[in-house]
Amino acid sequence: MEGQALTDALDGLRQEVRQWLADNAPHGWRERSSSEAAFLQIQRDWFAKLVEGGYAVPHWPAQWPGGGRSLAEQKILYEELARADTPRLLLSFMSTYHAACTLFEWASEAQQALLIPRILAGEIWCQGFSEPNAGSDLANVRTRAERVGDHYVVNGQKLWSTMGQFADKCLLLVRTSNDGPKQAGLTYLLLDLKAPGVTARPIHQIHGDEEFAELFLDNVEIPVSDRLGEEGQGWAVAQSTLSSERGLTLLELSARLRGALWRLADLIRAQGRQEDSGIVRDFGRLSAKVDATCAVADQFLANRIAGIERVGDASIVKLSYSRTLREFTSLGIRLGGIDAQYHSPITFGGGMETGNWMADFMNSYAWTIAGGSDEVQRNIIAERLVGMPREPKSWTLKEGAA
Amino acid sequence: MTMTRAEVQDAADKAFGQSDLAPDAAHSWALIAEMGWLMMGVPEELGGLGLGREAAGVIHQGVGKALVPGPVLAQMLTIEALAAADHLPEREALIADAMAGEVMTASLAGGLDGADRLTCVPDADTASHVLHVTDDRVALVPAQQVAVTYRAGWDKSRRLFDVVLEGPGLTLAQGDAARALADRIEALRLFCLAGDSLGGAEAALAMTVAYLETRQQFDRPLALFQALKHRVADMRTQLTAADALFWSRAQQVETDIIALGALKALACTVYRLVAEEAIQLHGGIGLTMEHPCHLFLKRAMLNGALGGDADHWDEQTGRAALAAAAV
Repeated sequence: MEGQALTDALDGLRQEVRQWLADNAPHGWRERSSSEAAFLQIQRDWFAKLVEGGYAVPHWPAQWPGGGRSLAEQKILYEELARADTPRLLLSFMSTYHAACTLFEWASEAQQALLIPRILAGEIWCQGFSEPNAGSDLANVRTRAERVGDHYVVNGQKLWSTMGQFADKCLLLVRTSNDGPKQAGLTYLLLDLKAPGVTARPIHQIHGDEEFAELFLDNVEIPVSDRLGEEGQGWAVAQSTLSSERGLTLLELSARLRGALWRLADLIRAQGRQEDSGIVRDFGRLSAKVDATCAVADQFLANRIAGIERVGDASIVKLSYSRTLREFTSLGIRLGGIDAQYHSPITFGGGMETGNWMADFMNSYAWTIAGGSDEVQRNIIAERLVGMPREPKSWTLKEGAA
Repeated sequence: MTMTRAEVQDAADKAFGQSDLAPDAAHSWALIAEMGWLMMGVPEELGGLGLGREAAGVIHQGVGKALVPGPVLAQMLTIEALAAADHLPEREALIADAMAGEVMTASLAGGLDGADRLTCVPDADTASHVLHVTDDRVALVPAQQVAVTYRAGWDKSRRLFDVVLEGPGLTLAQGDAARALADRIEALRLFCLAGDSLGGAEAALAMTVAYLETRQQFDRPLALFQALKHRVADMRTQLTAADALFWSRAQQVETDIIALGALKALACTVYRLVAEEAIQLHGGIGLTMEHPCHLFLKRAMLNGALGGDADHWDEQTGRAALAAAAV
């Protein structure tokens, strides 16, 4: 399909999705989402509803129900979800993106036939990559897996597992060898979190939410058959997991950011500051930056569709979004004045801009630190996109130099 | 249009891509006319190429990149006004002259012109006509009816004049038509200034990166220092985002002046940031007249002030966003 036929088909999809959302999108979910239990219920219900409608996993291959949507179609879907202000799928995000995309690439047909349908049924996956000493330097993973017969015995600690305390399964990166380069000793396992020896503890974030967990692994046995790739191939498998995140998430988030400008506008009006040029200017400048962030996310997707995406393009979009989000929430605090200093209960899973400004500001670090910190993105942009020289592995001064 | 944009881009690269920064004014002007750039925005029935905003975007980014001097932007504003003057008997002859490179200039100051005086008019001393834009009348005033005064600016790539009008000139539009035309002129001015700024920022950034990769201190290229790489990454990010907004607004069909004002303010802010950083990262050499860093800074400063500054457009954008969010 091309030209007008394609445009018509996409317009048709937009109308279809819009109508479906009018009939099915949950109402009043923000008000209800005042506890963790309510959050989990809202997330599970909405995910099940999207699966039923065929909109939960548009990025999956066509052989799976709800899959086979083009990037252009996915874009429309996410724009409409943002427009309808539905809950973002936080609980199932790792399952439908990170886990599924890794399984599609590395799991056997039998493993896929077993695990993929369970994701649609609501099984939750988390990611066990980061550790206390392996954050931005992921290759430094130390969680140890010893092969004993037909299983591995795993010991160690994992950190920053999104939704880890609610998850059923975990994508686990472990060390099986200390020989050679750090990356070469890594292996990728699929961990059942109900196995003996696993303890999950939520991490208390500064704004009061608990979206991440730490996992303690104490002599946990994992069958060798639950390994993806060969022993020592873990780094390559992990790259599939990490690259799956660079989908349309930022496009959706940017659209939601633009859609949430009314929260600031309402506050400006409520405080009678419509004639306060300083505030109006800052609001105007912010709204232009939000537009630019949306435009760069759009351009990124267009380049990806055209097959001309470059390494580092995704980092530009992420850095642009994270810095704009920080400014957005910062203006919220400023407008909130003293009121913003008093604690009010958070909306669990309410998104990046809930109008609880102090909580939103603190939560904005989720985008400047998680998923590759701003500093890591800047390295990628400078080295891979701009082409500046890469950091030397070890730098020693030449002999005789001061 | 994409093919056309690529073709215009190719032509722009050939014309100014390889040449020195701030090329000779007379030579540049002849080249611009010869390349047909002044025909781009003219409808085909008037002998032009009938290309839209995208082509203007490519041209002004190219002009900004090479710090090309001369009245190309002002000329395009005048041509835009002439094309709209469908009752004027002299229209076709005037457009033909303008497309051929006879200078017909206009104010770049922003907003409407004064009743009888204009500021920031490039190359008014060599112009055959000056465009005069007010709320209810747009006119083309011949050189015989204007008095021009040169004012030396910091940015030597633009020769700006104050102009006093001493006659009424030819009426191009009146009443509602004049108001609509004034809006279109303002929109084009903002868009082209944004393009010039993004082109300049792109060139200044490339020049800075090249310098960081060559210049060695402490036994290593400056480009190895992470502190400097991160500043480059921040510039690259802001510039890419502003550029994405530029091309998205290039496709906008309706004339939304405030949206273009927001774009212009953002583009000029990024240009200024990159130009400031260029000098800082070049160190001592960046502070000298012999090095071109200062040319970018001066043009960035002037672009920021022309067409309405960031204070003005940020406030307008804020008001529009407030109104939009109230619906």
